[in-house]
Amino acid sequence: MRLKQRVALAQKGHDLLREKMDALVIEFFEIVRRIRDARVKAMQQLAAAYRTLSFSFALEGTVETHQAAREVKKEMTVDISTRHVMGILVPVLDVKPIERHALARGYGLYTTSSALDEASRAFEKVLEVLLKLAELEEGARAIAMELEKTKRRVNALEYVILPTLKATVKFITMRLDEMERENFTRLKRIKAMLEARE
Amino acid sequence: MSVDRILQFELARLNMHLPKQRISLKDALSMASPHLVAGDGSKHTFERKELERLGQIVPPNDWDNLRLPILIAINPKLGRGAAEISGELEVKVVSSVLDKEARGEEVIIYRPEIAVLRARLPTTTQYLFMVG
Repeated sequence: MRLKQRVALAQKGHDLLREKMDALVIEFFEIVRRIRDARVKAMQQLAAAYRTLSFSFALEGTVETHQAAREVKKEMTVDISTRHVMGILVPVLDVKPIERHALARGYGLYTTSSALDEASRAFEKVLEVLLKLAELEEGARAIAMELEKTKRRVNALEYVILPTLKATVKFITMRLDEMERENFTRLKRIKAMLEARE
Repeated sequence: MSVDRILQFELARLNMHLPKQRISLKDALSMASPHLVAGDGSKHTFERKELERLGQIVPPNDWDNLRLPILIAINPKLGRGAAEISGELEVKVVSSVLDKEARGEEVIIYRPEIAVLRARLPTTTQYLFMVG
């Protein structure tokens, strides 16, 4: 009886974990689709940003551009919170607008040209997309790890635990049937002997 | 740890992400950073855009009655890949998001629909596993 209860529990666990695995697959494909879109966007914006940076290098000179980059205020505010996807904590980055006014960047406007402003603006824009991409990739990594764990458990239940338990139940049932048959035969034999004695 | 204990632990863990108490759409919209605390003590944040979308689907006088997150109940008894949405307003939201005809207190949705629903409302919907 206890073994049958264990089989029922294992079966229920298997069904639920399989449902969880299916749900995780749905989540994983969705996040992968969003990553693909975010990557395309990031690549386009990065290409545009590097193009403006090349202009800046050409106009200002490499040393001057690097010097201006060193003077830039490297601060930004990101609120990091979490959301749940079936028990997996996925980060949520709330990026405050990064695009700043030219005066707020920190480099001198007198010694730099508008090409550098353009490049800065383009990189500030792309940073928002990159942070979103980082959030999605971290989410995908967490979901993939949980998916792997769940798959391993479902497989263990499906191919090891459930067949072993079912085989044990079958063996016990067969053994009990066999004992019942032996008992029946023994009783019949005893009855026959008693009848013969009378 | 025996297999049974591992299994019981796994089953108990399945619904750890659910909140102790659901909040209304009205409360969520009034919060500066809309969130709730999950059963394991962690924080689940709602996306404001999603809340605003729900606000457009549900009439303002019903904002108090729509409890968040909307639960997608997975019950193995319904068959693989099927899930149930309960509650009149929840059914209304889901039918609107999925562009599906549904009325009453309950609606059963299937895997492709779950994928669409989760893609459109990733933070305001949650899975509920019916351990039973």
